[in-house]
Amino acid sequence: MSAHATRPGALPLLARDFARWLLGWWRIVEFGAVIGVIALSPGSYSSGRRRAIARHMVLDTAPVLVWFTLLSSLICMVIARIVVVTALSYGLTQYALEMLVRVLVIELIPLTAALFVAVRCTIPHGAEVAVLRQRGTLRALHERGIDPMRHEVLPRVVAGMFSVALLAMLAGVVALVLAYLVTYGFTTWALAGYTRTVGRVFDPTTVVVFQLKALMFSLAVVLVPLGSALYDATRSRISAEVRGLVRLFALLLLIEAASLVGNYV
Amino acid sequence: MAIAHLGLKAGALIVVLVALMAASVVYLLYARGVFEATQRLVLVADDSEGVVVGMDLTFAGFPIGRVRSLELGEDGKAHINVDVPKKDAHWLKQSSVFTLVRGLVGNTNIRAFSGILTDPPLPDGAVRTVLRGDSTDEIPKLVAAAKELVANITALSAADSSLAQTLANLQSASAKLNGQRGLLGMLFGNERDAQRVVTALERANALLARLDGMTAKADTQLFGERGVLPEVRDTIVQLKALLGETSASLKKVDAILDDAQAIAGNAKAATTDLGALRTEVEANLRKIEHMVDELNRKWPFAREVEIKLP
Repeated sequence: MSAHATRPGALPLLARDFARWLLGWWRIVEFGAVIGVIALSPGSYSSGRRRAIARHMVLDTAPVLVWFTLLSSLICMVIARIVVVTALSYGLTQYALEMLVRVLVIELIPLTAALFVAVRCTIPHGAEVAVLRQRGTLRALHERGIDPMRHEVLPRVVAGMFSVALLAMLAGVVALVLAYLVTYGFTTWALAGYTRTVGRVFDPTTVVVFQLKALMFSLAVVLVPLGSALYDATRSRISAEVRGLVRLFALLLLIEAASLVGNYV
Repeated sequence: MAIAHLGLKAGALIVVLVALMAASVVYLLYARGVFEATQRLVLVADDSEGVVVGMDLTFAGFPIGRVRSLELGEDGKAHINVDVPKKDAHWLKQSSVFTLVRGLVGNTNIRAFSGILTDPPLPDGAVRTVLRGDSTDEIPKLVAAAKELVANITALSAADSSLAQTLANLQSASAKLNGQRGLLGMLFGNERDAQRVVTALERANALLARLDGMTAKADTQLFGERGVLPEVRDTIVQLKALLGETSASLKKVDAILDDAQAIAGNAKAATTDLGALRTEVEANLRKIEHMVDELNRKWPFAREVEIKLP
């Protein structure tokens, strides 16, 4: 009986949750548009703000650069070794290299870099912004005539996007070098063939999809946590971080799936 | 939190990112062959299935070109446009053969084969028909060929087949071979002819024995102790001595001839002297005759000299 009694109230609840979920995503999109306009307007880069952006860039990127490169190199070497040994055992070595470049450079490294930056920088940044909002610091800034978006959010957005781009780029180059070394060893005789394979993998479509994917990853990594932090009604820092993380994973998966469709379908 | 050299560090990070991006772009353009001077080769195929843009054209396992575009030609055939770098184009000759092979596992491969490397090189924009080979396409052909082979073997091994008859003949031939006359009996088929051949062989053998004796006799007569050859040798020795003597005689004759020549010279000089002597004698005779005439004229007892007047 009780189930029958609760049923009429469950549907509106579900609809309300769905509407809230939809509104949450819409606010992220709106935040993306606003921050895009601010980021593209030259007035946002005054001397003081440039310094703030530089500070966030250095703080977000420099400490993790070496560690991330080492970590991704290790993962790349392990995966490359597995792929090469497996390909050798099946007599398919001619396809091993192409597979390595595709799996490592195009698929795995951008995703890893985005997740790394999200966990290390942008989700904590989102939590910081949420705390600032809850404390009323952002409102106080607004009342003092200072745009909180430009003052607090833009440096974090630019630094996050820069960090994703640099980490993905560096790890990609290192992965290309490591894939060659694992396959051929310390020799230069196979360089021409390897270059040819890389050229074959990076056809124009793949390059466009790869660039779009990297751009979307970096946007998702900065917009979802910061947007969630700015607009969601959260009570604690942990809650904001978890909510941002879940949304981010969902969006990253969606982008990855779309890129796979673009590349291979 | 204040950061020392903030601007420098941020600038360095930006420079690293820009440098990595620029290097990647240049490397990818190089890897895609943008900086290579190429020449175009158009391969015409019935079916372009499995061929994709960017695929390699290989020669001896080495990639020497890549597919740039595919198009359906006016002739209803697939035109595969391949860019071959100039530095590798010399491997492609006018007699080169191109194949499009699709394996059971892996990509389709376009391969070039140049049998005669001294042939003139393939010109830019050359159009060649590509031979298509597919391992799965080959299976029905293989089955058909195998079926045909089995039918042939069955026909060969039948009881009334040519092979069976040949084998029967071979068996009878081998029986004859094992018979009294052996191979000759098998060759001639009857005893009489085989016997005649044997007789002919025996006579030839006897003839050879006689020839052998004759040769021995001829050898004795020619080269024996009293043979022709030693006598000929003695004759030659004698002839040699005779020739020596003749030579001496001739030398003597030569000397005589020299003497005769000298005598003839003396005779010639004597003849010259005789001419002068004769002239002198004639002058003397003329003087004597003149003197006699004088004496006759002056002598009183000379006969009268009549002068008859008309």
